[in-house]
Amino acid sequence: MLRWAWQSLISKRVSFWSSALGVASAFILVMFFDAVFRGEAKQIVAYLVQAKPSVWVMQSGVSNMHMSSSFIWDWKADRIRQMSEVERVTPILYLNSVVRTGGKDWFSYIVGLESDSQGRAVARHIAAGRGMPNPGEVVIPDVIGKLTNIGVGDYVFLTDKKLKVVGISEGMFSMANPVFFVAFSDLDDILSSSGTYSYLLVDARPGVDARQLADKIMNEVEKVNALPHDAFVKSDFAMALKMGVEIISIMTIIGSTLAALLVGFTSYTQVMSKRRDLGIAKAVGIPRRAIYGAVIFQSLCITGLGFMMAALFAFLVMPYIHTLLPQITLVVSPAQVGKVGLVAIPVAFLGALIPGYLVMRLDPALVFHN
Amino acid sequence: MVLANDNLVVVQHLSKYFGSGHTEIRAVDDVSLTVNRGEIILVMGPSGSGKTTFLSMIGGLLKPTGGSIVVDGIDVATADESQLPAIRAQKIGFVFQAFNLLDALNVEENILFPAQLQPGTAKDKKQRAQYLMQRLGLMPRRNTLPQTLSGGEKQRVAIARALINQPPLILADEPTGNLDSKSGQEVLMILHDITHDAGHSVIIVTHDPRVEEIADRILWLEDGRFRDRKSEKHSWVIDPVCGMRIDEWSANLFSDYHGKRYVFCSHRCLDRFMKAPEQYL
Repeated sequence: MLRWAWQSLISKRVSFWSSALGVASAFILVMFFDAVFRGEAKQIVAYLVQAKPSVWVMQSGVSNMHMSSSFIWDWKADRIRQMSEVERVTPILYLNSVVRTGGKDWFSYIVGLESDSQGRAVARHIAAGRGMPNPGEVVIPDVIGKLTNIGVGDYVFLTDKKLKVVGISEGMFSMANPVFFVAFSDLDDILSSSGTYSYLLVDARPGVDARQLADKIMNEVEKVNALPHDAFVKSDFAMALKMGVEIISIMTIIGSTLAALLVGFTSYTQVMSKRRDLGIAKAVGIPRRAIYGAVIFQSLCITGLGFMMAALFAFLVMPYIHTLLPQITLVVSPAQVGKVGLVAIPVAFLGALIPGYLVMRLDPALVFHN
Repeated sequence: MVLANDNLVVVQHLSKYFGSGHTEIRAVDDVSLTVNRGEIILVMGPSGSGKTTFLSMIGGLLKPTGGSIVVDGIDVATADESQLPAIRAQKIGFVFQAFNLLDALNVEENILFPAQLQPGTAKDKKQRAQYLMQRLGLMPRRNTLPQTLSGGEKQRVAIARALINQPPLILADEPTGNLDSKSGQEVLMILHDITHDAGHSVIIVTHDPRVEEIADRILWLEDGRFRDRKSEKHSWVIDPVCGMRIDEWSANLFSDYHGKRYVFCSHRCLDRFMKAPEQYL
């Protein structure tokens, strides 16, 4: 039966491959949205990941950076600096705001850097210019530069400030929050935050446990929250996921539904085009369950092939999409592709439901119709 | 339900009606038939006479409105839907006018197709298929796909497929309908020889008068009923009302008047005759 089901399936090659391509498209859609979302979530925490202090200190009640605001008095930073376990404290100011460049508005992370931060908290990878901005200057992400065709020496606008581009950073772009670096004094001026910081990047001395240091900071400095780096990144990533999870869930459902419809339509087309053959099979005594099994097998074959094509596309083609569309960062993981593979199995069964029903109802007497 | 099986096929008061009320069509109407083992029965009749409906019901492909069909001791008419595939596979072989081979499978695979879910080893089934292919001259074409076969070859494959499970009954619907005279003759002889040798019973539905040569018994089905067939092929009479020439075998409107039977082409003529017979004599 399986041989017949397979031979019957591939006997119409154009129909077979176009069906598999259709199913693959639906799975690619699911994988693409997932990869975009994961890429975006990764980029949202890119600055945190590359800054990598031992401990992040912020206002009590705050546990992440994404879409947050935090204020810490400067004397609290001094208290932390005096701790024996602390190597260095680098304060930053932080603001979610709109940067206007090349005629476009970008909702962005603005990070204000103190001049004596000695390169701590700046973008680690600089494509052009320098990473440390002075007053009136800005370091922009490379993707913004490419998309708006600006470079070192050009100007961008942050609220009422015109800032000169002195550096182009790499890896600091996400669609939700590209990261711009400005001088501390410029952001202080915008925020009127005199005497406060947003976050403190605390580097521990060698051998000091980050978790213990964070606990000590929270015990000894009032109304602050201190999180080891990994915990802070995890918290920020979770927040980013939470804000996008509904969208990605809807897209996954839409993609899976589309895939199920395509598989169903394909199986339906197969059944309709093979009604005569199925009628013959029934007439010569093949049980309905065996014929239905053949229909499910065909559905599984098409879905499986579609999934494999989609997986190949995900691993071989998706990584290059960033080259063509620099604003999109795609993260394709085998685990996620595997999950889509698991979804493919029920999709194949769902896709075979209506054709299966048609097989059940198929009149074997139609074999007498010439 | 398993019944006594003195005869291979026992059909009693078989009926099949389509529609109801004014639109009711009696495709098969109270037909009875007994087929002995090894007998070749020919069912002839005009188009729309119910031949194919009759064959479909015996083959368990169509549920009758009434009556019983016992094939090799099993009542096909009352068999459960889940039992019918096994009955069809083991008791009945089908040969169709349109051959109905599976395009995706080669000759050998087509022949083996009904056997795949039946008891027995794959080796035995393959040997049986090879025997049939040799007997029917299909060995050189065993790996060929149906679309490259001639009509006669296709029908030989269909006959081999019908015989693969060694069913006691073969049902053939216009087996020569799509064949030229030479191929048709060849297929008929094969059907005759191979079924007689193995003791299969065959019911053939056809318009083809050549088939009469191999039949043990010929039945004439018309308007859903078996009718007597006279020794002559046609008996032409004249409708006394309109003067139309009518074949008395197939006519179904009669009136006896003064000891003589008159045949009519339509109810209109019959009614006119009944009102004033003398006017037309």
